Amino acid sequence: MDNIIEVKNVTFEYEDGEQKETVLNDFSLDIKRGSFTVVLGHNGSGKSTLAKLLNGLYKPTSGDISVDGISTADEKNEIEIKRRVGLVFQNPDNQLVASIVEEDVAFGPENLGHSPEAIRTEVDEALKAVDMYEFRKSTPHRLSGGQKQRVAIAGIIAMKPDCIVLDEPTAMLDPKGRAEIISTIKKLNRENGITVVLITHFMEEAVDADRVIVMDSGKIVADSTPKDIFSNIKLLKDVGLDVPQTTELLYRLKLGGMNISTDVISIEESAQKIYDAIHLEEI
Amino acid sequence: MLKDITFGQYFESNSFIHKLDPRTKMLLLIAVIVFIFVSQNAVALSLVALLIFVSMILSKVPLKMYLKNLKAILPIIIFTMIINLFYNASGDVILSFWKLTITTGSIYRALYMAARILLLIIASAELTYTTTPNDLTDAIEKLLSPLKFIGLKNAVHTLAMMMTIALRFIPTLIEETQKIMNAQKARGADLENGKLIERIKALIPILIPLLISSVRRAYELAEAMECRCYNGGEGRQRMKQLKYKSNDFTAFATVTIVCSAVVAINIIL
Amino acid sequence: MSILEVKNLTHTYDGNTPFMHDAVKNVNFSIEKGEIVGIIGHTGSGKSTLVQHLNGLLKPTSGEILLDGKNIWDDPKKIRSIRSRVGLVFQYPEYQLFEDTVYKDIAFGPKNMGLSENEIAKRISEISELVGIKPEYLDKSPFDLSGGEKRRVAIAGVMAMQPEIIVFDEPVAGLDPRGRADVVQMISDYRNKYNATVLIISHNMEDMALIADRLIVMNKGEMVLFDTTENVFKQYELLKSIGLNVPMVTQVMLSLKEKGLNIPDDIFTVDRAVDYLLTLIKGGNYNA
Repeated sequence: MDNIIEVKNVTFEYEDGEQKETVLNDFSLDIKRGSFTVVLGHNGSGKSTLAKLLNGLYKPTSGDISVDGISTADEKNEIEIKRRVGLVFQNPDNQLVASIVEEDVAFGPENLGHSPEAIRTEVDEALKAVDMYEFRKSTPHRLSGGQKQRVAIAGIIAMKPDCIVLDEPTAMLDPKGRAEIISTIKKLNRENGITVVLITHFMEEAVDADRVIVMDSGKIVADSTPKDIFSNIKLLKDVGLDVPQTTELLYRLKLGGMNISTDVISIEESAQKIYDAIHLEEI
Repeated sequence: MLKDITFGQYFESNSFIHKLDPRTKMLLLIAVIVFIFVSQNAVALSLVALLIFVSMILSKVPLKMYLKNLKAILPIIIFTMIINLFYNASGDVILSFWKLTITTGSIYRALYMAARILLLIIASAELTYTTTPNDLTDAIEKLLSPLKFIGLKNAVHTLAMMMTIALRFIPTLIEETQKIMNAQKARGADLENGKLIERIKALIPILIPLLISSVRRAYELAEAMECRCYNGGEGRQRMKQLKYKSNDFTAFATVTIVCSAVVAINIIL
Repeated sequence: MSILEVKNLTHTYDGNTPFMHDAVKNVNFSIEKGEIVGIIGHTGSGKSTLVQHLNGLLKPTSGEILLDGKNIWDDPKKIRSIRSRVGLVFQYPEYQLFEDTVYKDIAFGPKNMGLSENEIAKRISEISELVGIKPEYLDKSPFDLSGGEKRRVAIAGVMAMQPEIIVFDEPVAGLDPRGRADVVQMISDYRNKYNATVLIISHNMEDMALIADRLIVMNKGEMVLFDTTENVFKQYELLKSIGLNVPMVTQVMLSLKEKGLNIPDDIFTVDRAVDYLLTLIKGGNYNA
């Protein structure tokens, strides 16, 4: 697999009044085409800045970011980079432009100047991909949070991006909405082959990722498989992340002397681990 | 309490009038309004009234809805009638007291003016009943597009974009206002009582959070639009294309004939 | 006598309003002084509509709300005084901040109650200490604070009115673990200091298991359960049927029980689960 995004020695600073804040310092990261990467970090770890750097919304202070070999600093490829790397934000309300669902989804392709017939097909396909086709004539303020966020995702998908970056897309949703979004994202990755970078502070959303990156104060503190990362609960807690109760339970049992690993999250797997560990003690 | 702006007063139907191109409806409304005022006598005005009446039937919008609309402007109609009743008297005197006189001419005039306002309101209401605000926005954008030839290209696009965003965000902001009002009421804010100055002061705890949140929304929306390759209308295409169909030509022809008749009647009578 | 009693509360919205509102149908419950009661149910179950009746923001279509035995709508003109007795903290309360200093913002509620400057100052210093807002923060603009700090200031603004009952709608939504722990601490400190009654709406069953004495379960506008947290979480099947869940740790325990281990059905917290499982191993009698 080749890399779709390459971040090389990027530093990002912004001016807050007279002070200069450094958000990222000498940061490097490659994203493989077709992969599902989860970036974990708490508020202020620099993960949102990273998201906006990946599609050229922000430009690095130094270093270089390239998408398919094109540098995001290159002004004349600005539109093409944003098309290839779509960005979905936290608040679904503030991403929707039009008051009819299908017209909102059409906004991206319209800006790209596609033909009306092509836009129609792109819009229909995108709405079907996020399972919102039947709501195409509805209006956003009548939809639930999860549905609005799926429309926002469709608005990005309609531009036929190679990669989507989602910046805490579930932070403002209820448990049902969260589940809808996570399954939609997984589906887009598996069935449509879209590269996904999911930025979140919910550890359980990283379970099915190919790769998990943990960020803290603008640096990568861990970069590995979910299994590997989850077996280091202390690190996750130290950087202020949400640890699901199942993981917490396994971790505390381990601290209490049980011979058990903490690398699973689901209810069933956790129960199985505990069951096996108890029976191991028996022998 | 609050009207749903997304659909405005739109009444869902599949009538002849609903299916007309929104541009057709807008242009014809303007024509009809002009000819309501061009009509100089009862015969000409009756002709315009007949046209409006037929289109009302074709729209399949219940008469009840039109009447509801008229109720709101009844005071204006009555006021106009009273003013006209004592103004510009001609013809036989029917009643005379103090400095006021009512004549057959003034009664005729009062009724005539009332009829004009009535027709004006009905015709405008018909447009909003049969066309969604979204379609109206598209129609305005298209109708104003010739302005781009005189160097106002961005102005037309910006206006249309502003209307689209306004339609999208008004419900969100109304809901937000409601939330903030409730939150401040829960902190004991008194929004209903007090003198005018106190009431205006009581709005500050609502307006400031609303303003802050609107600015935040605007900033986030701008970023989101940029991420969706928005470039200020340069090279922008639209999914929904407006196209005139045969029905539109029928409508144009009918209105043109009626308007010509009005002009003819004006000249003859 | 119960401090708060809700009798046959019904609220219907007329169909013409553009926004989604959830009706409430014939809800009855009473709450004792000093209790912490959780309200669970998913979006659209009527939770928010229910709590907006408790301080008179909404007027019941039928039924009544008794505060200390008195119907709060007995004198509609005095409904504002109810709001300082029943505090309501909305979801994302930081969005209601508007003053140029933290002090003035917290003072807004007490001022509306008509308290003297001295009394207001006294209350603010008391509440700031209780919730951990440092004195030097009081002169800062609330808009310069971090998200978690803003939330604490906004909550303090309601607490400064010293309500006997305080209702929270998703008080920890959108906060990181640290911010969540702070807010939960604030709530329990407030209750302990003023012997206040607390109602909390939350989606988070794990938090509920930790703090709630009793739970109200709402579904489609109706109250389907009102019982101790323990008894509610024992009704795993019922909760599941209306799209709710028991805490994750309880689900793990249920699964272990199914596998044949000797597990009681009242384990709702990680602490209790760890204690139980570790003693189970030491004792050696695993199987049921």
